[in-house]
Amino acid sequence: MIDEINRLLEEGRAELASAQGEPQVEAARVKYLGKSGSLSALRKGMGKVSPADRPAMGKLVTEAIARFEALLEEQKKKLGEQELLRDLSREKLDVTLPGRSRKRGHRHPVSQAMDDIVEIFARLGFHTADGPEIEWDLYNFEKLGIPSDHPARDMQDTFYLDPATQPEPPLGSPPTQGAQKQLLLRTHTSPVQARTMLAQPPPVRIIAPGKVYRCDSDITHTPMFHQVECLHVEEGLSMAHLRGTLDAFAKAFFGSGVKTRLRPSYFPFTEPSAEVDVSCAACGGTGCRLCKHSGWLEVLGSGMVNPDVLAGVGYDPEKITGYAFGVGIDRLAMLRHGIDDLRSLFENDVRFLEQL
Amino acid sequence: MKISLNWLRELCPVALDDEEIARRLTLAGLEVEGTEKRSLPAGVVAARVLAKAPIAGSDHLNLCQVDDGAGTHQVVCGAVGYAAGDVVPMARPGAVLPGGKEIKRAKLRGVESEGMLCSSRELGLGDDHSGLLMLPRDTRPGTPLDALVGLPDTVLEINVTPNRPDALSHLGIARELSALTGVPVRVPAPRLQAGELASSTARVDVEDAQRCPRYLARVIEGVKVGPSPLRLQERLRSCGIRPISNVVDATNLALLELGHPLHGFDLDRLAGARIIVRRARDGEPLTTLDGKQRKLSPDDLVIADDEKPIALAGVMGGQTSEVSAGTTRLLLESAVFEGAGIRRTARRQALHTEASHRYERGADDGTAQLAADRCAELIVELATGTVLPGLIDRYPSPRMPTHIWVRPARVSAILGARVDAAEVDRRLRSLSLEPMDGMPDRRLWQVPSWRRDLTREIDCVEEIARQRGLDTIPVEVPKAGVGETAAAPPDRVATASARTALAARGFDEVLNYSFVAERDLDALWPGDSAPRAMRVANPLTVEQGAMRWSLLAGLLRNLGHNLARGARELQLYELGRVYLAHPDPRHPSGPLSWPDHEPRRLSLALTGQAAKSWTSSPGPLDFYDCKGAIEDVLAALAAPAVQFVLAPIPMLHPASCAAVTVDGAAAGFFGQLHPRVAKAFDVPSQTFVAELDWELLLGKARPERKMHGVPKFPGIERDLAFVVDDEILAARMLAEIQGVEVGGLLELVSLFDVYKGAPVPDGKKSLAYRLSLRAPDRTLTDAEADAVVGAIKERLRSVLGAGIRA
Repeated sequence: MIDEINRLLEEGRAELASAQGEPQVEAARVKYLGKSGSLSALRKGMGKVSPADRPAMGKLVTEAIARFEALLEEQKKKLGEQELLRDLSREKLDVTLPGRSRKRGHRHPVSQAMDDIVEIFARLGFHTADGPEIEWDLYNFEKLGIPSDHPARDMQDTFYLDPATQPEPPLGSPPTQGAQKQLLLRTHTSPVQARTMLAQPPPVRIIAPGKVYRCDSDITHTPMFHQVECLHVEEGLSMAHLRGTLDAFAKAFFGSGVKTRLRPSYFPFTEPSAEVDVSCAACGGTGCRLCKHSGWLEVLGSGMVNPDVLAGVGYDPEKITGYAFGVGIDRLAMLRHGIDDLRSLFENDVRFLEQL
Repeated sequence: MKISLNWLRELCPVALDDEEIARRLTLAGLEVEGTEKRSLPAGVVAARVLAKAPIAGSDHLNLCQVDDGAGTHQVVCGAVGYAAGDVVPMARPGAVLPGGKEIKRAKLRGVESEGMLCSSRELGLGDDHSGLLMLPRDTRPGTPLDALVGLPDTVLEINVTPNRPDALSHLGIARELSALTGVPVRVPAPRLQAGELASSTARVDVEDAQRCPRYLARVIEGVKVGPSPLRLQERLRSCGIRPISNVVDATNLALLELGHPLHGFDLDRLAGARIIVRRARDGEPLTTLDGKQRKLSPDDLVIADDEKPIALAGVMGGQTSEVSAGTTRLLLESAVFEGAGIRRTARRQALHTEASHRYERGADDGTAQLAADRCAELIVELATGTVLPGLIDRYPSPRMPTHIWVRPARVSAILGARVDAAEVDRRLRSLSLEPMDGMPDRRLWQVPSWRRDLTREIDCVEEIARQRGLDTIPVEVPKAGVGETAAAPPDRVATASARTALAARGFDEVLNYSFVAERDLDALWPGDSAPRAMRVANPLTVEQGAMRWSLLAGLLRNLGHNLARGARELQLYELGRVYLAHPDPRHPSGPLSWPDHEPRRLSLALTGQAAKSWTSSPGPLDFYDCKGAIEDVLAALAAPAVQFVLAPIPMLHPASCAAVTVDGAAAGFFGQLHPRVAKAFDVPSQTFVAELDWELLLGKARPERKMHGVPKFPGIERDLAFVVDDEILAARMLAEIQGVEVGGLLELVSLFDVYKGAPVPDGKKSLAYRLSLRAPDRTLTDAEADAVVGAIKERLRSVLGAGIRA
């Protein structure tokens, strides 16, 4: 009987091994384990076995059946795998076809730079202040130490408004007379300095981002551009604090690789005054059209707030000192992205804008 | 200001190369903006014409025998107006003339030519091409032309800031260089005779001493007007001034050397041999040296003789008293005019001259006298003649020198670096300030007359900073205010999320000029009810003539620009100010008020169709793309109670325009462009725009959001399609559905289909909704859901006559 069991098991194993699909496996199951299957028959034939051998034999038969069932499952699984592989190998996809895209929008490089600068100064403890772009002469010039007929007005060619189209001045607005009644487009963000200091006692620590206008248009000038004004007025501030703030700003905006340099200059509302140059990003400092072959780009006018300006807003210049600067944002955006034509900033050509 | 380094080195003989001089000046605040190397081509020498004979068969060529110092050569020359014996420039074979022309031995008309005789223009020395450049007859043949004209030279273009009129001269720059290097400056020291003869020959009266604090004159007789030496002509040209005649050139040379404007009058053409400095009479005529007849105003200061104005004081001379070839007697003016008045005249007459530029910035009473003497000396040197003894000097109230107290401790405090008393002394002395009184902690300094910009201690602080170099100032980061700006302001957060929403939808941001063409604004909204634009009085072009009251004019131009360059799908936005011609109560009142109202707007413009891809073929952008963008922006702001209603907007298509309200307030509009507007801007009729009031939206935004957990119990979804009259608006349907009282079980209603056409009857439409139902505290049963759906069906049937589509 043992031989018979082994023979059947061996025969069954061979039959399963040669099975090519589910039907043959099923046929084998019926043949060996079905109601009249040969292994099932062994169990039924137990009655013919001597009672003494019966437990051992029974165990052998049960084990053989379990073995066969395992083989059966194994073969089923194997065939399933084979079938899956066959199915998968029939599927084909071109992974190099482009993905389904969605058009992404783009920030304007200048407004992006403006936001970044506001963020940097916020981290340095500066609040944002605001003022009108259409201004009185008083705040754009007079309060900043630039009276009419002052040659410093040549530094900033000014757009004026047609007086016939100006609004009536609001009640209590600055006393204006003669030519000064004419409103102008602010030539810098510095009027916000005067407005802010007139509105509050020191300390003042503000930045004022915004549009400014000058009557000028060529390769390095557009009639409208963007500045951020920075003003910090408090007891005990020195030019070292100006340098510290500039340095922190330049590092935050450009990274540590960009070089800066301070050059003495003149602005009526600061003294001492300095131009701040950064190394030209378009050419890396070797000289190109953008930097007029100097390797440096002026991005910033700065200085210690002129004592006359402080006195003019009612602060005591012996006690209070401060520093201020105005950053040309457009130029910073150009430096950052290697843009070599300022005018492309305001053409709003999407082929340009979508590069950002 | 152009500075010749050859000239500068004569005044301050520093042993520095060109680049180092430029670098030091730049770092001391005299920014060198450009450098020009001037030279003559090698191989051009003086040559004497020995003989000249016409070449047979040519009507203009001559064969010349010339001596160039190295031998006699034959040269073919086509110029006129020279003769044997003249000394002229000759370019030897191998010389390369400006413009790249190389001189070679060549045959002209079969005759060998061994060089070329040159005109002034051919050598790049001037514009004259009427004949050969005539050199002095005593010039030794073979002398390189370089040596004759004082080349090579380097010319620096220096940007002199308006506070430094003293630096608008070679002497001024030399003084700076001297202070920076310690090399002493050689100030010209002319010696002229004193006496009374000048004042008995000519008379000067100053009627307006306010506008003319000092008027100096010298009289020179026996001058011979002619050309200046080549070397001095080159000096003038290198500084951008055209040589005219020795007398005029002398005034310009003195101007460039000392920075003080001078003017020579032909004394014989002055009626009454008299100068009167007075205001012009209203409408008085004067023909200036540039040939223009000008009408003067009583605010203009003139130099007049007994009869008429002869010069616009401090700006430009007049024709009647001009120095000409026949002039022999001169009155030389060296005056000080008040800057603001000169500036007004120069602007009124649109005349900007070397003289007005300097007077506007401030002339120095002291330099005026030096300049009168130096110039008189130069005239005699160049044009012979004699200076009459005596100086006419109208100077009723001599200016007192300025004195300034300087505290080293204050200098240190401002610069943030320790500067001791010795250093302050050294640096101020190097700038010719003279110490007066002293106290332990401060010292009184007298300022030299030419530094009129130094009036306060802070001015001296700046001078010290300039001298020691700004890189000596330490770097110190100010202490941050404690947590003051740690939190981003809500406006900034809200704006950033709106921008992110727009970027996610594919909108590109643009930035336009605030001024636009007025006709573009008119095209947006024709008629009298449109906002009134403020105009720019002096725009660069009419395209920038009016302050925008809407961002759409710019955006529509942007669409046009990009469509013309092949763009097919455009979605643009701009966030910026508009300018409204009325004050607004939201700004401060009183002295700090704003002259106008400048609210921010967020505007969109979109048109076209995305390019087909292998995965999709999108339809054209339409009204609902525009509306979707607005909804995304409003969602980003978490704006409450948003409503859209059909409302007529002047620039929009009457059937496709809507007003947006947020929390009951008007927040803007959007829709399809009116065909008339589309035509005016040359954009497709299927263009959609929106303009939102950003100030209002920021006021309504709720950047802080509350969150809550996810639902705990499952919900049920039911789809329902209603058939209703075509006129019924989606908003009405939604309001009715949401208006049914169902005990808060209706969680969400979403419209997923709109359909017209068979089998839906004509005049009707089918709207299909998915209703999401959920109870917060239990699992909803089908029976409960059925009840809700039934109630909704019943409500829509009874109120709107809605049928249910199977």
